[in-house]
Amino acid sequence: MSSAALDAGPAETGGATAPLTRMGIAVLSLAGLFIAAYLLLHRLGVVGTLECGVDGGCSVVQGSRWAVFLGIPVPAWGVGGYGLLFGAALAGVQPALAGDRRVAAVLFGLSAFAFGFSLYLTALEAFVIHAWCRWCLASAGIATAIFLLSLPEIRRLRRG
Amino acid sequence: MGRRNKPGASRKGGLRPFYLVLALVAVVGIAALAYAVRAGGGGAVLEPIAVEGLDDPRALVAKAEGVAVGDPSAPAKLLVFNDFQCPGCASFATQITPFLKAELVDAGKLHLVYHDFPLVGIHPHAFIAARAARCAGEQDKYWEFYSVLFGQQGRWSTRPRAPLSDFEDYAEQVGLDREAFGACLRSDRYADVVTANMQLGQQLGVDGTPTLILNGRRVRNWQGYSDLKRLIEGEEGA
Repeated sequence: MSSAALDAGPAETGGATAPLTRMGIAVLSLAGLFIAAYLLLHRLGVVGTLECGVDGGCSVVQGSRWAVFLGIPVPAWGVGGYGLLFGAALAGVQPALAGDRRVAAVLFGLSAFAFGFSLYLTALEAFVIHAWCRWCLASAGIATAIFLLSLPEIRRLRRG
Repeated sequence: MGRRNKPGASRKGGLRPFYLVLALVAVVGIAALAYAVRAGGGGAVLEPIAVEGLDDPRALVAKAEGVAVGDPSAPAKLLVFNDFQCPGCASFATQITPFLKAELVDAGKLHLVYHDFPLVGIHPHAFIAARAARCAGEQDKYWEFYSVLFGQQGRWSTRPRAPLSDFEDYAEQVGLDREAFGACLRSDRYADVVTANMQLGQQLGVDGTPTLILNGRRVRNWQGYSDLKRLIEGEEGA
């Protein structure tokens, strides 16, 4: 799928309109933020039980040693990442910033990192932990969708 | 895909539907989080947590403390990996453990050590039950609470939510300071110990409950108390 095919926003107008892809990123990152916050609250002991169905994979995944990355709980990375994506997307829908290359760079960079990180975590669940956390999978799905929606930012960056 | 935005999107009012969608997501998200915090047991940790340093076998053994009765120098040492929500463990608790204590532990022949092995995948309240028993142990009532937990297993284990109030009622029944017990229960206390117990069991190949390990050897296919007693007494010096 090309970035042009995904581009629903006319950035060439000098930032006069709000790209729909950025609106999509904002909505999805807000949803991802709540999922990450839920997992973080569980990690902090504020939420006692994760709603995870009968297989209980969430507790296995969240209790594993891969639930911490560089000394910081993975859900905290999620809260930070989705929060930044949300802020950048919200800024990017403002007409004055619709053509701003810095916004495009932040959106594409963050979403690419989030997508790669989600792939890594999903691979860990599949091949190392051998358990599935449905909230983690939902977050991975959101990160993938955000990455696809961020592909038009490449064109905006090139257009400079 | 590939379509341009309507010209109206360039005006401030064109963003209104977008903001409405954001507000809707925010309201749903905040409400769901608030519900989870209220229903999920407050600060009570109900599931295993990540514990640093358990890759080191010595650290794991030190952290995975069991609850023991009897003389540590007794010739037979029996480890019991236990899940408070497991029916088989309830049978063991009511039909085996009292006799083990009365006939072998009290006679100095057996050192009995209980380890937690909550099967969290199928028993959602087993982890908090293990923590609750440890909290009772703070007030020297582990075994009293253990008996009530197994006696009332059919009641609390079917609760859709964490049975914190049930456990506080049981604590009161066995003469615990309800407030102190509740403060322990509604915290993360012993979550690391129970998690370490689970990891120890996994290291030892425990795959179900109750699992018995007698002087380092897994006890399989034993037939009732008499058979188990015979095995224990067959240990050298017992």
